[in-house]
Amino acid sequence: MSLEFLNAFKFMKKKSFIHNLDPRAKLVFSIVYTISALLFTEIIPLLLIFLSLVPLVLIGKLFRQWIKSVRGLSFLIIFIIILNTLFISLSFAIAMILRIYIMISAFSLFFLTVDPNDLALSIISMKLPYEFAFSFSLAFRFVPTIANEAQNILDAQQSRGYELQKKGLISQVKNLFPLLIPLIICSIKRAFNVAEALESRAFGSRKKRTYYYSIKFTLKDWLFTLYLLLFLTYAIFIRIEFNLLPDFLMWSLPV
Amino acid sequence: MNKEIPIIMIRDIAYSYPNGTQAFKNVNLNIFKGELVAIMGKNGAGKTSLVRTLNGLIRPTQGNIYIESESISSKSIATLSKKVGIIFQNPFHQLFANSVEEEINFSLKSCVLEKEEIKIKIDKILDEFNLEKYRKRSPLNLSGGESKKLAIASIICRDPEILVFDEPTLGQDAKEIEFFINLINRERKNRKTIIIITHNIEFAYEYLPRTILMADGKIIADGPTKEILNNELLIEQTSLIQPQIWQFCVALKESGFPKTDDLLSKEALMNYLRNFLKNKTLKV
Repeated sequence: MSLEFLNAFKFMKKKSFIHNLDPRAKLVFSIVYTISALLFTEIIPLLLIFLSLVPLVLIGKLFRQWIKSVRGLSFLIIFIIILNTLFISLSFAIAMILRIYIMISAFSLFFLTVDPNDLALSIISMKLPYEFAFSFSLAFRFVPTIANEAQNILDAQQSRGYELQKKGLISQVKNLFPLLIPLIICSIKRAFNVAEALESRAFGSRKKRTYYYSIKFTLKDWLFTLYLLLFLTYAIFIRIEFNLLPDFLMWSLPV
Repeated sequence: MNKEIPIIMIRDIAYSYPNGTQAFKNVNLNIFKGELVAIMGKNGAGKTSLVRTLNGLIRPTQGNIYIESESISSKSIATLSKKVGIIFQNPFHQLFANSVEEEINFSLKSCVLEKEEIKIKIDKILDEFNLEKYRKRSPLNLSGGESKKLAIASIICRDPEILVFDEPTLGQDAKEIEFFINLINRERKNRKTIIIITHNIEFAYEYLPRTILMADGKIIADGPTKEILNNELLIEQTSLIQPQIWQFCVALKESGFPKTDDLLSKEALMNYLRNFLKNKTLKV
């Protein structure tokens, strides 16, 4: 088992239009795309939304990581196809896959291009307390650490004869304990260590803080946000006035 | 030095991480049954990755590994872990059960044993490791040294032919290290092959007869520990320092003491100094 798929959410410093955008604008982006994905259950509109993501991925030079995150979901995709085709229809299954891809892509684009430090700053700029922002960005900082630790735990358990694949649902769930318990315990231990390390560096001794970097909402951020809001308005409009639009939007597979 | 077939034969293996970084390349190695080998080198030299290939946790991108003359490339980790037991650095990465007893039981599950046999094995191993008194305790409440012992016990109970330790002396007190030394001596008597990754120079110098020195993903030296650790050129290429005995001998030599070249062990050095002092007091 590889946890490589988590890399699709790991920030990497790059120079591109998307990277230079304000984190808040990118948060709006993720939310707008998630909402518009949830508005539709038809294939064509979802496909169009999905395709509108592609140029952004290309501008952000993120094609390879994006493909990785898409590939990492293949297990879930099989699950969705089987369940939806059995109980509803294949068209619906494809629509649901597109919906998931849109949401995952939108958020992976966000996490790939937002520096965890900027993330904290943008939360503070929304008038939330610093402690909250800090723990939020700290949580993101630890995602790769925990992924690494999970791999180590898996290796250690496999070295003593642990096998990942087991038959039957109950034994599969039971089989997760040797991985989850050490992971949780190590995480709790680390949390205490981090807390002590922070306190020994006088965390929270002063209410008012100054910051090394600052973030600014510039013209391109406003333009990008404007585009997103227009996009969302249009999507909502189509949703409400569906019968005013051409039939091809309603197209679905015969099965 | 040995005409028999090596228990571990590594032939020209290479491995790169998924992100493209090369862990090691062109590694060739023979390890014979019953040998006690140290793997030393800088952090990031590829030591841990190299031993992970032995039970299939890492599959080399090139080359082949043979254990007991059989290629391991088509064997599962579960099969290989019966022959190669790797004990990782952090014991808390594997302890999860409700009690010490169950922890050992979990390791024995995949060994296809009768209930009676399992019970006997658990009793034996807990006794050997002085863990009998913690039998019903949660492994998470054990001290650092005790949990390390339990992690080692949980691998040794499976009776693998090859034992690999990753940094066994890290964070251990003197008593615990002594226990570990007794343990490897005992396992050596059973003709087990033991590989130890360590940064502990004094420990390797004293107890491990053969050393494999790694730097930047390559084996730069392989031979008797005392020769390797006394070789200034090799030491410079890694982040090691020379053992204290060697440094002490150099200091003796520099202050004009005769015949200091053969003083390779603690005993030899102590005898030398004893003799020297005896002669000196006799003269005065």
